[in-house]
Amino acid sequence: MSDSSQLLVRRIKDGTVIDHIESAKALVVLRALDITGREGNVITVALNVPSSKHGKKDIIKVENRFLETGETNKLALIAPHASINIIKDYKLVEKRKIQLPDSIVGIFRCPNLKCITNSEEHISSTIDILDKEEIILKCRYCARTLTSDELVF
Amino acid sequence: MPNNHLYDHDIVSIKDFTKQDLEFIFRSTDKISTLRPNEKSELGKGRTLGYIFYEPSTRTRMSFEAAMASLGGSSIGIFDPKSSSIEKGESLADTIRIIDLYSDVIILRHPLDGSSRFAGELSRNPIINAGSGSEEHPTQAMLDLYTMLKEKKKINNLTIGIVGDLKYGRTVYSLLYALANYNVEVHLISPSILGIRKESIYDIRKKLKLYEHSQLEDILPKLDVIYVTRIQRERFPDIQEYEKVKGTYTIDNNILTKAKPDVSIMHPMPRMEEISHSIDDTNNAIYFKQAAYGKELRAALLALVLNENPI
Ligand SMILES: [Zn+2]
Repeated sequence: MSDSSQLLVRRIKDGTVIDHIESAKALVVLRALDITGREGNVITVALNVPSSKHGKKDIIKVENRFLETGETNKLALIAPHASINIIKDYKLVEKRKIQLPDSIVGIFRCPNLKCITNSEEHISSTIDILDKEEIILKCRYCARTLTSDELVF
Repeated sequence: MPNNHLYDHDIVSIKDFTKQDLEFIFRSTDKISTLRPNEKSELGKGRTLGYIFYEPSTRTRMSFEAAMASLGGSSIGIFDPKSSSIEKGESLADTIRIIDLYSDVIILRHPLDGSSRFAGELSRNPIINAGSGSEEHPTQAMLDLYTMLKEKKKINNLTIGIVGDLKYGRTVYSLLYALANYNVEVHLISPSILGIRKESIYDIRKKLKLYEHSQLEDILPKLDVIYVTRIQRERFPDIQEYEKVKGTYTIDNNILTKAKPDVSIMHPMPRMEEISHSIDDTNNAIYFKQAAYGKELRAALLALVLNENPI
């Protein structure tokens, strides 16, 4: 971490640090993880932090919450290069990369306006990942094959 | 009959069926359609088919009802959305849950893509998709192939022309996906504004030998089967354009003289002006037989879905 990012984001005692988020994606990441701030935890969000690796990056620190793999893998199509750091008592106890899950429920909207998941029915969109290398996706309901650019967030 | 994979399962999408599955269904249809009436009427005895049609389709409903009756079962349902609870804003989910309580198999026609998949997750009993969204009508595709098999004695190596509205015709997409299991040559013939939606056949573009034409005459002499779909006036921004196009694709005696003598004319029905009544009595016209095969195939599907070992 560069000096400026250390200044911006203080060290946390317990919680999760999501680092190396593609710049200007942090707010989308918060929405995908359903982190609203109403939970009461201290949440620090830094946008466009200078980074030696990628030029600019975003960072999120959520105190007193340890995000599970199942939660953070939802970020695979939003911030694929992000790293997840679990901090306990100021120590890094787990560092993990994001992996593409087999399916993603409820984060993206199917781009097909005639899809039942875009209707008033109580139904969560479900995007199945057919090919993890080439990132080929499919809506489980309307069966349309999609690329990640087509997903509506 | 061993390995009846259809028992207690939904029929949602033609894409879920392999060539083996389709051939199993065709063989079962052969067997079940030739059962004696008293044997056949055991297969659905005491069972109820529940139908929900969010869009009217008298023929599809009648076909399923007749099929269920031939198995000794009965049918109930909602056909006129305007006079029913559907109009009052009841959700699809609630409608499905209710009809699921009253029936043993559910037939659903709905305008949205994925509606049958969703319904299948909610219902205890199997769902059969009788047309959903813009692309799925699996039982129509199965009966279309079954008709070809019965009338042409084969599906492989057929040269098939599909004529008319290929953009909005739901049956066309399911038919192409079903045909992609076979070695066939398919010629798509339509005015350019009603051409096939490429993104919808992305998965099968390499499996099918597909050619596009705007004139039927270009390819007519090669075709073994001409599958005709209706061109609807509403699809044209300009009525004169519609009038111009309409006649070009009408199948009549003149067309038949330029085609193979044994060419077969198919149509999912209802037929309007796209097939002249003058050819109804020719051996080439197989669209009424197609409707008859449709009832037999749907009876077989119902028998397979309702019984672990129907035959
Ligand atoms: Zn969809």
